[in-house]
Amino acid sequence: MKNENNIGLAQARAKSTAKAATVFLIPALLLITIYIIYPVIDTFVISGYKWNGISSDRIFIGTENWVSLFKDEMFWKSFKHNLIVMVFSILLQIPMGMLLATFLDAGGKKFNIFKIIWFLPYLMSSVAIAFLFVYALATNGGIVSSLATLIMGKKTTIDLLGTAPNALYTVIGVMAWQFTPFYMVYFIAGYGNIDTSIYEAAIIDGATRWQYIKHIAIPLLGPIFKTACTMSLIGSLKYFDMIWNMTQGGPAGSTELMATYMYKLSFQQFNMGYGSAVAAGMFLLITAIALIFNKVFKVKEEY
Amino acid sequence: MNKKVLATFFATVLATTTLVGCGGSSATTTPSAGGSGADATAQANSSAGKQTDGKNLPTLTTEPLEITLWDIATEDPAKTTQEGAVQRFMKDYPNIKVNQVHQQNDNYKQQLVVAMSSGQAPDIYVHWGGGPMAEYYKSGFANDLTEMYAKYDHPEFIDAAVAQSTYDGKMLAIPFGGLSGCDIFYNKTIFKDLGLEVPKTIDELEAVCEKLKANNIIPFSLANASKWTGSMYYMYLVARHSGNAEFDAAYTQENGGTFTSDAFVYAGSKIQDWVKKGYFPDGVNSLSADDNQDRALLYDGSAAMMLHGAWQVSGIKADSEEWYNENVGVFRFPEDSEAKAKGVPQDVEIGTAIGMGMSFNCFKDDKTVDQEKLDACYVLATQYYNDDTYNNDQLSSGTQPSIKGMEENIDDPNMKVIADVFFNASNVQLWYDQYLPASVTEVHKNCMTELFGLEKTPEEIGKEHDDAMKKAIAEQ
Amino acid sequence: MVNPNMSEADYRKSKIKSRIAWGVAIFFACIWLVLTLTPFFFMIINSFRKQFDMLQQGVFHLPDPWFFDNYVNVVSHGFFGYFLRSVIVVAISLVLMLAISAFAAYPLARMSFKLNPFIYALIVAMMSVPMHVTLIPIFKLTTSVGLYDSLGSLIGPYVAFALPMSVFILTAFMKTIPKEVEESAEIDGCNRYQNFFKMILPLSKSGLSTLAIYNGVSMWNEFAFANTLLITPEKKTLPLALGQFKGEHSLDIPIILAVLTLSVLPMITLFIVFQDKLVKGMMAGAVKG
Repeated sequence: MKNENNIGLAQARAKSTAKAATVFLIPALLLITIYIIYPVIDTFVISGYKWNGISSDRIFIGTENWVSLFKDEMFWKSFKHNLIVMVFSILLQIPMGMLLATFLDAGGKKFNIFKIIWFLPYLMSSVAIAFLFVYALATNGGIVSSLATLIMGKKTTIDLLGTAPNALYTVIGVMAWQFTPFYMVYFIAGYGNIDTSIYEAAIIDGATRWQYIKHIAIPLLGPIFKTACTMSLIGSLKYFDMIWNMTQGGPAGSTELMATYMYKLSFQQFNMGYGSAVAAGMFLLITAIALIFNKVFKVKEEY
Repeated sequence: MNKKVLATFFATVLATTTLVGCGGSSATTTPSAGGSGADATAQANSSAGKQTDGKNLPTLTTEPLEITLWDIATEDPAKTTQEGAVQRFMKDYPNIKVNQVHQQNDNYKQQLVVAMSSGQAPDIYVHWGGGPMAEYYKSGFANDLTEMYAKYDHPEFIDAAVAQSTYDGKMLAIPFGGLSGCDIFYNKTIFKDLGLEVPKTIDELEAVCEKLKANNIIPFSLANASKWTGSMYYMYLVARHSGNAEFDAAYTQENGGTFTSDAFVYAGSKIQDWVKKGYFPDGVNSLSADDNQDRALLYDGSAAMMLHGAWQVSGIKADSEEWYNENVGVFRFPEDSEAKAKGVPQDVEIGTAIGMGMSFNCFKDDKTVDQEKLDACYVLATQYYNDDTYNNDQLSSGTQPSIKGMEENIDDPNMKVIADVFFNASNVQLWYDQYLPASVTEVHKNCMTELFGLEKTPEEIGKEHDDAMKKAIAEQ
Repeated sequence: MVNPNMSEADYRKSKIKSRIAWGVAIFFACIWLVLTLTPFFFMIINSFRKQFDMLQQGVFHLPDPWFFDNYVNVVSHGFFGYFLRSVIVVAISLVLMLAISAFAAYPLARMSFKLNPFIYALIVAMMSVPMHVTLIPIFKLTTSVGLYDSLGSLIGPYVAFALPMSVFILTAFMKTIPKEVEESAEIDGCNRYQNFFKMILPLSKSGLSTLAIYNGVSMWNEFAFANTLLITPEKKTLPLALGQFKGEHSLDIPIILAVLTLSVLPMITLFIVFQDKLVKGMMAGAVKG
């Protein structure tokens, strides 16, 4: 009797949980379905056609686009660029953001001016960033080449945007410059989320600020750290904006990313069918990498 | 405290929401200036006469009609000029309302793809001709104007303009953007100081370059991150060496035509030779014409010449008319004396003869031609765009209309040179990056980077062009 | 971990060490300051020049002479209209987005139900969607419901596209809130809905403010959707205002920088005002209060 009652109660509880969850989730799921999931399905459908994107007749060609995709050197090259961007973004933006946030957290209010100025790059539009960096890195009169000339004592040209391996790393640097401030703010919020009583307790125990940060705060930030990495990972795998403004994938495709490649095919080269296959492939690859990343991290977290 | 902040915030949101409501209801369409006024004076107008009276044109409907027009005239002077044409048309035909939409140039091609694929394509849209125009036509978004053009009045467009509005023997567009030749802009002051003459042949050009180099001046200001800028050198060298016959052959890939033929190898080797000799700025592939970095090199005196489109005249003038008048001269791309001796024509020029053209997308739901609308579009494009007011506006902003006889109205000496070059051309080759099929364009652009970067040989890039071209032809 | 019985000498030593550490830290902080400030500085500086002077003297040169007409020009080209419309769209989208993502994150972070992992994975997967694939479907949808060319057309895409990332982050934030918080509330007789509004939402403030910053900035600068869905100048938002100064072959860079400077100023002001919200101590206030 008692047992049954318990089961009934548990069931009722589960039911009410499910009901509450549904109520809370419906608006988000509705919007995501209309604006994102439907277009994704549409993309997969279009990837089965030979279609220029505008004509009313499209020819169904089955998996032909997908077969081409697997054999497409340019696509895999773009993917490789994306991976490089991803690795360096995570390695540069997250630790740097963490460092800046830690500095600000330790310094407290008197460092507000640092916080505000450090945040500026994130506020600038990609158009302005691209323009200023193109000039700063220019081989004629740019800051870098001028400095090099000054240091070497004779005319020295450092071509950071015009040659193959340099351009990609330069763009990665500019991206890091642009996005680090966001991770900084993100980690500041993470620090803010830690109960002050924990800090107070640590100080009462005689810990220095640095000891508190190292032994208490950073471990507590674990989950926040993981989400930051996931964000950087996904963000850099589908990156488009600033690259488009700065190099359009050039020189000679050396900064071509999956997103710029897809955009060119779909909207400039009248190859929407294949462009959709690239987009769909890109979606699958990013999701897979994000999943693997989260699986690997989960193990560590539990330990 | 927090509650207060929240409350103010929501109040703001509410206030702004109501504002949205207001905004939504008030603003309807922009360029319909004189809308109601025009209605009232409709009758007066018809008796006062239209500017199309007495011309051989289709009779337009007197029923209400709406036409949507997409252009890229977001900024002045193009904006005023083109809105003016639409206003004059609507004044003469008050029953027809033209919704003129200015799209941004950067994403314009994407906007067209989105609209066309959603069945929301505008009735009139502008484009640069070439490969995309063919694509729009084949996909059923462009009316064939051949018959109308033959039957009704229209401005006397120069032959090159008609040719660039034609695809597969069909006239698909009405030019309105004016021609843009591609010539060499040079710094007159530097030339005078060094005692240099305007070169007539490529050999003389190279001598000029040597002299400039010796004086620590970069011969050519080129910003090749934009790729189509470097392509101009390539196109001209091909044209001078073969009179463009080899390009025409390579374009079809028939009868042995290939991008690895003589003229292409000549052009590629010449460019790479010039790169090695330092005729172009260091890091030429990193400089961007979209950010005006090539003009900057001219302005600060570090470079002396720049091969570029005619629009540079109005661009430089807008930056500084004083500097322009003092320093800027123009000459046509020098001749290949060897080829000339063999009888290869030296008057094939590179550029666009139409600037932009307008195509019409006037079809009914059953895909038959909506003649009523098409007639209106034709009259608008041929009689109001391209009328005297329009052409004078164009000329005063430094654009040369592609209409016969128009070259006589030019004051600016540089514009005169540019127009003369064009009007005396036997053939005008449209920029490769607009002429070639879109998929080949991308290959061509990348090849230009690799050519100037000395990363690939002329033969290698020729082969890449061939492969892309063959693939594009096979997919047609 | 920490020895409370540190000797006086050790204490002094550690004090000196920490002084040195701070010195080094501030040195690097200043270098980073220069790196972040310089481009920003030159954006503003170049907006006070004529294009010819900028190109002739070089971009990294102080204005000579100073030229103020760019700003006059920008303002006379309807800048405030663009500005106001951007404020409206971003404010509405942001509030909706924050509310909806908080609603969604709550059950995902703090309730166990059968579909939880699946829905979470689905939402997270939607982060990987490249926005350009949605242009055509969203354009079709917008025209078919008659929202085309109205500010309202932007709110849906803006909210929807910010959701996956926001739900993802908020879920992580909400997971860090201790279980006891809810349990104590439940003992006080709160149901789930009250729980959410009274306990969880206030405790997620730092997460919400991060999201407001992240998405606020990207919505403020958003170009692609706005450019596709708005066509009449009287309805366009701020990022489209640049188009007026950019033609097929002409581009007035200083004016564009003037527009960009004017558009970034309100963002900076907002950040200065609200960055306090990010400073630690909210949690404590909530728990104790």
